[in-house]
Amino acid sequence: MRDLTEWCTKHLGNHAFFKKENHDMSIRIATTILLTSLVGLGSWAKTPADSLVLGKPSDPQTLDPAITIDNNDWTVTYPCYQRLMRYKVEGGKGSTSVEGELAESWKVSKDNLVWDFKLRKGQKFDDGAAVDAEAVKFSFERMMKLGQGPSEAFPTDMKLSVVDPMSVRFTLTKVFAPFLYTLANNGAGIVNPNVLKKADAGEDAKTYLARNTAGSGAYHLVSWQKSQFLVMEPNPYYGGSKPAFKQFTVKIIGESSNRRLQLESGDLDIAEALPLDQLSALATKPGIRVQEFPSLDVTYLYLNNKKAPLNNPDVRRAISYAVDYNGIIGGVLKGQAKQMRGPIPEGMWGYDPSAMQYKMDMAKAKALLTKAGASNLKLSFLYSVRDPNWEPIGLSTQANLAALGINVKMESMANATMRDRIGKGDYDISIGNWSPDFADPFMFMNYWFDSEKQGLPGNRSFYSNPEVDKLIRQSASVSDQKQRTQMYQQAAKIVIDEAGYVYLFQKNYQVAMRDSVKGFVYNPMLQSIFNIDRMTKK
Amino acid sequence: MSFSRIIVKRLLGLILVVLGVSIITFIVSHLIPGDPARLIAGDRATDEIVANLRHTLGLDRSLYVQYWRYLSGLVHGDLGTSIRTSRPVLEDLKAFFPATMELALVALFFATLVGIPLGVLSAVYRNKFVDQIVRTISVSGISTPAFWLGLSLIVLFYGRLHLLPGSGRLPDGIDPPTSITGFYIFDSLLTGNRPALISSLRHIILPAFTLGFVHLGVVARQIRSSMLEQLNEDYIRTSRANGLAKWTVILRHALPNALIPSVTVLGLAMGDLLYGAVLTETVFAWPGMGAYVVNSIQALDFPAVMGFAVLVSFAYVLVNLAVDLVYMVIDPRIREVS
Repeated sequence: MRDLTEWCTKHLGNHAFFKKENHDMSIRIATTILLTSLVGLGSWAKTPADSLVLGKPSDPQTLDPAITIDNNDWTVTYPCYQRLMRYKVEGGKGSTSVEGELAESWKVSKDNLVWDFKLRKGQKFDDGAAVDAEAVKFSFERMMKLGQGPSEAFPTDMKLSVVDPMSVRFTLTKVFAPFLYTLANNGAGIVNPNVLKKADAGEDAKTYLARNTAGSGAYHLVSWQKSQFLVMEPNPYYGGSKPAFKQFTVKIIGESSNRRLQLESGDLDIAEALPLDQLSALATKPGIRVQEFPSLDVTYLYLNNKKAPLNNPDVRRAISYAVDYNGIIGGVLKGQAKQMRGPIPEGMWGYDPSAMQYKMDMAKAKALLTKAGASNLKLSFLYSVRDPNWEPIGLSTQANLAALGINVKMESMANATMRDRIGKGDYDISIGNWSPDFADPFMFMNYWFDSEKQGLPGNRSFYSNPEVDKLIRQSASVSDQKQRTQMYQQAAKIVIDEAGYVYLFQKNYQVAMRDSVKGFVYNPMLQSIFNIDRMTKK
Repeated sequence: MSFSRIIVKRLLGLILVVLGVSIITFIVSHLIPGDPARLIAGDRATDEIVANLRHTLGLDRSLYVQYWRYLSGLVHGDLGTSIRTSRPVLEDLKAFFPATMELALVALFFATLVGIPLGVLSAVYRNKFVDQIVRTISVSGISTPAFWLGLSLIVLFYGRLHLLPGSGRLPDGIDPPTSITGFYIFDSLLTGNRPALISSLRHIILPAFTLGFVHLGVVARQIRSSMLEQLNEDYIRTSRANGLAKWTVILRHALPNALIPSVTVLGLAMGDLLYGAVLTETVFAWPGMGAYVVNSIQALDFPAVMGFAVLVSFAYVLVNLAVDLVYMVIDPRIREVS
């Protein structure tokens, strides 16, 4: 300090601030002003007890339930809309079974084609308008007319009609067994038809609904500062019980270290999408708990079934036996995953705990490769940087297949390019993640194995087996769940044996929250969605 | 050539630049493999849904038609609708561009305000202790990754000292000032919104320091080098011989001449700051164009990417026009030649 003041005095002339007799006082005052201005400019507020603040890495893209297919957007849309059906909470845990939400009761015709829903009375949108059959008809017809991602979950030729103001009818032309489950999906959110009257509605209210909510859920959006935060408040006309939080704020913080720091400091109540190392560090911090839940989010390898040498089931089986499942789960996922047992993950009805599970067995793998008469194989492994786990999984597979004498070339590319090539079948081995849109094994069995869904829509291994086609299509056309389970499990046995894919693991969903947050119920179908209408803070 | 003629000439050039940028961005974005309609509809969507969406978005038209439609819209100030957000691109850019511009301007202001005195001191005390310190700061500025610096500042000032906020532009409890320019500091000053002013100042300190630190080094080095050149000139010796005080000679005679090349550096720095704010914006959750553009690129959102490119090139050309005009004001020789 002395050097600095002497230097100032010597070199910066005769300004009063630097005069020798004033320097101590001047510097002290300057320092005091600087510090007090920084500290005094605002208090360090923690989140109030009647509000919940969630930190997420990215802004929603659109809030239109008929357009968004992204769970990141659903964090906002799901609590703001109601649907005919909702996922049940059984024994304090979220389940994949459904019950009526807006639907008070329903009945289906004997041929399973006509579904009649009676609506619950007293449900209102956030402008006070009643939720009626017209609103249900409007919402579904709008979604099907827009024809974007969410409409894919519903039969394209589905027709809706208003039976009476509180009764609505869905008429299908083909039996679609998962129909009831699709009604709990985010895309099935019931939109207030009054949005069409908004000045900035745009065509089919797309402009308005992209940035606003217009539902009958417990909350509604009151402000959205793009890339900063979204604020939701209780819907004053909500038909259910009053939620505890007067405000639910979603803060957008791209950098994970920053999210973690804000959770530790108490500026966030919940921090989502933190990397494994940060979650491990947070787990030891007082006042914070890291929760883990088994998810239905699976990671698997696509093996191009229509291209030699992977068109030979024995080569595919050999690869399935050569993958180091435990090494990948322990090393890459830090134990936060569970090896799959066939295509239907644990937690989804239809899961078969007795199904065959491939374990790493290099001797068996070599024998199968010899049986297939394959040698000096050269394969490519297509991946992108979209998921940071994909590269290490690829490298592990590459090393293990090298031990079998299979030379694997790693090909990293932009995700859009990778999708294009997968869709065209221009690859040998590739990798992907999959999570179900509705709680039905249909999402795995029919999408992954139906030969009509070959390519990007689902059957990315280009698997084809008429017997499997028959079983899974039949299962989608009968309503008896027991019968469907049997058919799916029978089909699963075949596809596991034929090693259409390498079934790697189902990940755990991890979330860090402050101890004061209570009542969170995780539902594997609603990842990144919080039951804020039932949560509290103590 | 008069100021007005130069301005008219440069504005005509601006039209060509924007046209060129729009053509190049359009071609490049359409050469990238991948189908934006597929990205929006989702992987699971049937081909029919994707085809329907492609038609709705006009992506099934020929490239010429698509470009012509884009250009026609551009002439009328319509940058199209974002494929990803379903909102008009202009509306999105209006929300994000002022934040980036404000951050870049404050960072530039900081780099200039600190960089120039440091450069002067470094030159005046060449090879002395002060010079060594300034050179160390300059090199640190140029070589420190913004990402690391930003995180360190957050950990220190937000995490440990609780002095400054760790993210965002304003907290959720404070409404943004009435938008006049889109710059929160300026708008809150204009509207007399004290809480917003204080809060926005507190929020911008760390990101502006992080972003400006690199350019501080560049400015300081540039000023140092120009000052050294000027201090060896005859007119400086003459001024000193005439008995003028050392600092009067330095500040009134040497510095104005040394500033001329720095104006160019600052003009170029503005371009860097606009394009280069992505990392800083990510670290500080600053709601600028960084994340918007990165997400748009990943989603092959052509209208958004092109809107960004056109807007930034527009701003870049205007800044450089301003630099040229400043040149003419501060350097009579250039004015004469013009």
